[in-house]
Amino acid sequence: MLEPTRSQRAIIIERRVKLLAFLCSLASLFSFILFVPNLLVSFLSALVTYFLLAPSVDYMERHGLSRLFATIIPFLFLTLAMVITIYLFVPDLAQQAGSLQENSQKYLETASALLSRVEEQIGVMLNSVFKVDLHNQFSPQIYSWASSFFKQLPAWISKSATVLILSPFLAFFMLLNGREFVRLLIGMVPNNFFELALSLNYQISHQIGGFIRARLIESFIVGLFLWLGLLIMGFPFALVLALFASLLNIIPYLGPIIGALPAFLIAMTNGGSPTELLTLFTIYGIVQVIDTVVLVPFLVAKIVNLHPVTVVLSIIIGSQLMGILGMIICIPVVSVLKVTSAALYRHFTDFRT
Amino acid sequence: MPNFIWENLFRNSNSEQTLRQKLKSNFLFQDLSLSQLTLLERIVNVRSYRPGENIFRQGDIGVGMYLISEGIVNIYVEEIVPETGEPKMAHVTQLKEGDFFGDLALVQENGRRSATAIAHKDVVLIGFFKSDLMEIAGRNPTAGVKILLRLGEVLGERLRETTAKITELKKKGS
Repeated sequence: MLEPTRSQRAIIIERRVKLLAFLCSLASLFSFILFVPNLLVSFLSALVTYFLLAPSVDYMERHGLSRLFATIIPFLFLTLAMVITIYLFVPDLAQQAGSLQENSQKYLETASALLSRVEEQIGVMLNSVFKVDLHNQFSPQIYSWASSFFKQLPAWISKSATVLILSPFLAFFMLLNGREFVRLLIGMVPNNFFELALSLNYQISHQIGGFIRARLIESFIVGLFLWLGLLIMGFPFALVLALFASLLNIIPYLGPIIGALPAFLIAMTNGGSPTELLTLFTIYGIVQVIDTVVLVPFLVAKIVNLHPVTVVLSIIIGSQLMGILGMIICIPVVSVLKVTSAALYRHFTDFRT
Repeated sequence: MPNFIWENLFRNSNSEQTLRQKLKSNFLFQDLSLSQLTLLERIVNVRSYRPGENIFRQGDIGVGMYLISEGIVNIYVEEIVPETGEPKMAHVTQLKEGDFFGDLALVQENGRRSATAIAHKDVVLIGFFKSDLMEIAGRNPTAGVKILLRLGEVLGERLRETTAKITELKKKGS
């Protein structure tokens, strides 16, 4: 192999320095987002807003509006929609959440009693081969989770207020100048990786955008069907339960189960009849069947093609690293990693015919 | 001998110009209005290359085209020498300020570069890539159509030239 000439060596050094500068800038940006309080959640919700509104902003720009006006108009509509939603649903939601908090002690006692009953049954079945102590093991845990949830509620609400102000602000500038910013960042990439970076950026933003839009539509439909089902059944806290289940539905496999648990707990605490429990099971079951058979194959699966084992492992790692937020964002993060690694692999191994 | 495929048939005279003027004087973008050029100006990527630096290599997956803003670019094709069986870089042509190359990648899906482009002197290139074409078509479809029509013309002209050359070679052979 030929030795590189002096000018080639200078080019190699320059490229390495540029790559290092680019990676350092990227790392600083990520660290800033990760470690500044409230910024990660604000950034993620701004990203969701960006991908949700970008098609309508582009549509208006296509029809002759300037980018600035095309960005302002959907924000005005979004603000109006939020005001109407708050006016229509928040009093109901607050009342239901308040009532849920008041009755939380009752529901926790039911959960504790349920654990004792399960323990008893298991004890009879295993006949003291294994000593099972579910009640003493899990009850303090459940009480501690519940009390910390209600204790942290005010802090969580103040955090939400910060996010609620910061996130639209970030989303607005993402829509207005986001592409220029990304172009500026990609401009720092050395020449030998430039085309790859550009192509990756296009693929990743295409995939994340599609994924976020698909997941939001899916969650909205799941939440709507559940709310209607619970409302028709005359079940208490229909709105809160539907909202909770639709949010958790974003987590694959585990989300729908955790999302359904509070409803069953409430039904059992209120001394629900077997018919009521069966109806509840049918409602959640039908919505899950619609989700699995119709929504996921048509909306989500086409966009993120991940193996079920990868999905489960990602959820476990996500939950260990960042809790519920980690479980929600792990799938898009893993799909981005998949696209990136596939493109890098192709770039380094398959560049010649 | 310069290769006819790589010859720029659509070269315009190019002196000291701004980015917008350089884009306007290019065959692909000459039909764009002022506002469309302003949008394009914000979308394209300006890149600098050192003498001897690879812009792309034969066999790489192409993602777009380059317009030469400053400097000279050499185009090489890797050939196998029949006697030795060793690969050898054959110089095909030299492209100057105002020329453009790599345009086939704009319409190909994962198409490979058919030659290697190397900066001869300090070179400034204006990169226009598939993602940029998609963005411009999404934000201003009229501009997208104008660019695509001109691109079609370029590719059609190259095909016509190729066909004429093949016919000529066949005639010589028979």
